[in-house]
Amino acid sequence: MPISRRATAAAAVAALVLPLGACGSSDDGGGSTDASGKVEGDVTFQTWNLRANFKPYFEGVIAEFEKQYPGTRVKWIDQPAEGYADKISADAAGGTLPDVVNVSPDLVAPLAQAGLALDLDKAAVKYRKEYLEGAWAGHRIPGMTGTYAFPWYLNTGPLFYNKSLFEEAGLDPDQPPRTYDELFADALRMAKESDGEVATLANVPTIEDFGRYGVPLMNKEGTAFTFNDPKGVELLTKYKELYDAKALDPQALTATPESSGKKFLTEAVAMNPGSALDLGNFKKQAPNLYRDIGITDQITSTGHVNMYVMGVMVNARTKRTPAAVAFAHYVTDAERQMSFAKQVAIFPSTAGSLDDPYFTEQDGTDETRVRVAAAKSLKNAVNYTPVLFSEQMKTELRNEVAKALQGKESPQEALDNAVRACDRLLAQQG
Amino acid sequence: MASSTAVSRVRRQLPASPWLLAAPGLLVTGAFILYPFVSTLVNAFTDRRTLIPGRFVGLANFRELLHDDMFWTGLRNSTLYVLGVVPALVVLPLLLALLVQKNIPGITFFRSAFYTPVVASIVVVGLIWVWLLDERGLINSLLETIGVGRVGFLSDQWLLLISAMAVTVWKGLGYYMIIYLAALGNVPRELHEAAAVDGAGAVRRFRTVTVPAVRSTMVLVGALSSVAAFKVFSEVYLMAGPSGGPAGEDTTLVMLVQRTGTGLTGRVGYASALSVVVFVVTVVLMLLVLRADRRERT
Amino acid sequence: MSVIDKVRPAPAPAVAREPRVTDEHGRPIRVGELALRYVLLLAVLALTVGPFLWQLSTSLKGPTEDIFSSPPKFLPGRPTLHNYERVADTIPVWDYALNSLKVATANVVTNCVGSALAGYALARLRYRGRGVATLVFVLAMLVPVEGIIIAQFTTMRELGLNNTLIGVVLPGCIGAMNVLLMRNAFLNLPYEIEEAAYVDGADVWQRFLRIALPSVKGTLAVVAIFAFMGAWDDFLWPLIVLSDPSKFTLTIGLNYLHGTFAGDERLVAAGTVIAVTPLIALFACLQRYFFRGAGEGAVKG
Repeated sequence: MPISRRATAAAAVAALVLPLGACGSSDDGGGSTDASGKVEGDVTFQTWNLRANFKPYFEGVIAEFEKQYPGTRVKWIDQPAEGYADKISADAAGGTLPDVVNVSPDLVAPLAQAGLALDLDKAAVKYRKEYLEGAWAGHRIPGMTGTYAFPWYLNTGPLFYNKSLFEEAGLDPDQPPRTYDELFADALRMAKESDGEVATLANVPTIEDFGRYGVPLMNKEGTAFTFNDPKGVELLTKYKELYDAKALDPQALTATPESSGKKFLTEAVAMNPGSALDLGNFKKQAPNLYRDIGITDQITSTGHVNMYVMGVMVNARTKRTPAAVAFAHYVTDAERQMSFAKQVAIFPSTAGSLDDPYFTEQDGTDETRVRVAAAKSLKNAVNYTPVLFSEQMKTELRNEVAKALQGKESPQEALDNAVRACDRLLAQQG
Repeated sequence: MASSTAVSRVRRQLPASPWLLAAPGLLVTGAFILYPFVSTLVNAFTDRRTLIPGRFVGLANFRELLHDDMFWTGLRNSTLYVLGVVPALVVLPLLLALLVQKNIPGITFFRSAFYTPVVASIVVVGLIWVWLLDERGLINSLLETIGVGRVGFLSDQWLLLISAMAVTVWKGLGYYMIIYLAALGNVPRELHEAAAVDGAGAVRRFRTVTVPAVRSTMVLVGALSSVAAFKVFSEVYLMAGPSGGPAGEDTTLVMLVQRTGTGLTGRVGYASALSVVVFVVTVVLMLLVLRADRRERT
Repeated sequence: MSVIDKVRPAPAPAVAREPRVTDEHGRPIRVGELALRYVLLLAVLALTVGPFLWQLSTSLKGPTEDIFSSPPKFLPGRPTLHNYERVADTIPVWDYALNSLKVATANVVTNCVGSALAGYALARLRYRGRGVATLVFVLAMLVPVEGIIIAQFTTMRELGLNNTLIGVVLPGCIGAMNVLLMRNAFLNLPYEIEEAAYVDGADVWQRFLRIALPSVKGTLAVVAIFAFMGAWDDFLWPLIVLSDPSKFTLTIGLNYLHGTFAGDERLVAAGTVIAVTPLIALFACLQRYFFRGAGEGAVKG
């Protein structure tokens, strides 16, 4: 009886809700997973903040594609840095998602779960071998079969450190830390020598840091989080020690990547993770600091550095499946990725591209040194952040970590709470 | 206050026109504000997510609220925000309006300059103040030179909230100053002159002439600023960060709505329930201000 | 709702034109008081515009200058307008500014006309359902916008207005708060003036246009500036409604300066200055309407 009453109520509510917010799952025709037809028609391609700096590059790519496939027209739209997830959410819910979309793995997962991302293992499996295996697998989603985006550019980077701050603290500026133990020891020394004025780290540990420290993040099935294991507690306990000694910046609890970058630039913090892109930035923004910058490898306990993956997804509801798949592949193929990598310091995800002399031969400049080292480490790099780790989960983890650092909870309690909250959110997502 | 013959004549003249005049406003408000809000009301009773249609769950979202620590933190912070910001925004802009009211040379420049914080985008304002209040920012450098020592404006939970309030007040000064100025223009000069003849000083004239004359505007500013303060989002978001300060302790209710409800994994149902609470509280706030006003008048 | 009944209308013109320094009532001001006023004005000035001067200074700093040095340097060593040229090279800043101008102007027109009409109907005319109509606007003012943005977008799409500038303007084109501000302004006008016009045989439209509206110019100016500012500064809504980059507004466009790969503080600062300047100019133009003295008063009849 209660079931039937609930069902009636639900039906009444659905009748009210549907006309108000026709949501993403309403079928409005279109969309086939068959990409074998003739490549023709208009497709829309959306990128994430690339127009300002790479307009000629993309216009060139589109012109070549249209020439190669007569009868196609690609309309390129570019979205600014902020609000990208909001924009995609509105489009996905309103049924106005473009045909080909630039996405990061955390955006792909919910879109795939809602049936809005085309399964490329079905529609485009013939291209699979063109990409690095790890990169192709980067857009698989635990609990689902299939791959939901073409891998696009990758990024990783070294750790930058401030040589003069190291020297002032009596540390050898040419011997930066290489292991976690060395890092923690140097950080404590730095704080002590500077009376807590100079911190070494500016950010609280994120899920990626736990991964790099060797903490298992999720169970194999991808149904539950596991970062509250002893290794995770160990890392958080270390960070607490650093925080108490002011070796972790006191403002770390409220820091954003942008603000911690600024702290490095104002020499309030001695180390900062970054990428080849930042070198140019340092030169421009803080020329005085640039001379003092040392570069060292990312620290890991696993031997695999962290990488960021960008993808290109095909809208499952596109009316032009063959053209959309063809274009998504075209933008991400080896030739296009290689020429993009020469425009800006990112790395191609196509097989063999990293063996190009551009990524293996030194020419004596810092930029090249960073690029060659990064390309080498990328071959076995990992995107530690689980694709199912949503923004809401990041906030839960961040807030629990903060409680542990403030001493309001023990590291074990904090991580237990974070795992519980994330598991609950995960169950609701599925 | 209205002469009833005038009213009846006005009414007799054009029976259909009142609705005609109000129609555009009602239509826009109904279609683009209230109608979408009805969908929020409905969603509050479902477990809808951004991309997944919801099922009816009754009061489950509201029950969950009661056990959500973050909800209570948000309610506390939003309430504190009202208590901290509203008195300042009722009084300071009035004083500022009195300061710029007189037509002394160069006053146009000052009036426009005082309005700059209002027109600047909140993102820019946030960036500037974060930079100023930083551990090594200008304000801390000053505090250090005068021997106070550095203050963790951006790392302490309470100082962060207070700093955000200060920014809200700073940004709101010019806004409410305008509203007061429009009202001050109405204070009949005879009142001031009579008071001046009686030998009343500036302070007394302010208390006995100015304040009673703009009292109703003060009530209006109080109502507007308390609703805005309860719904505060940007200032705290930009200064305390998206996760709401250390351990989320500076989260406000609307920040919580945004955090839980937006993005592709947003819990639209739960966020809608939060929105409904925000709405109800602001309605109550309005009623309280009105009642306080009425009681004072009688 | 009666809270809102009480904003007084800005009264009609009376600007003192005597060469001496006088107050708004035409009385001379003592030197001591004058000095005190300037001291206070300068103090508030430092507080309100200081932070913006810092942005202005950053935007004028050349590429070789360190903008993160500590202690910070306030004046650019060799001021240059180069960063402004670079903003224009990076994004089509004039096209975006033109779109913003269209949106903001439309918003000013619709808000001034729409809220004046609705405000007049709510304040001056008696009819059944007036209370309900007022309530609609009050409730609309209390709706938390953060929760309804996707539903608003869906509505806009159903109307086929997504990706148009009309879609950007529409939801805020007659703001509830503006309607209520106008209502109060009209409410505080003495009935007698309209009465006289009525006796002269003026109909509702004539009374509205010739008598009521001119008496509330100050409030109308307030509505205009709020409407312009709201449209000019809005980011999230235009971002969600628009897809076509050629239709983007300035706030969206300037966001491109926070590059994906490399942000440059100088560019961002220059962008900020570009965004704020028109608003300050507009305020400077309209401000005289807010400051009308009461010398002559609104009631002439």
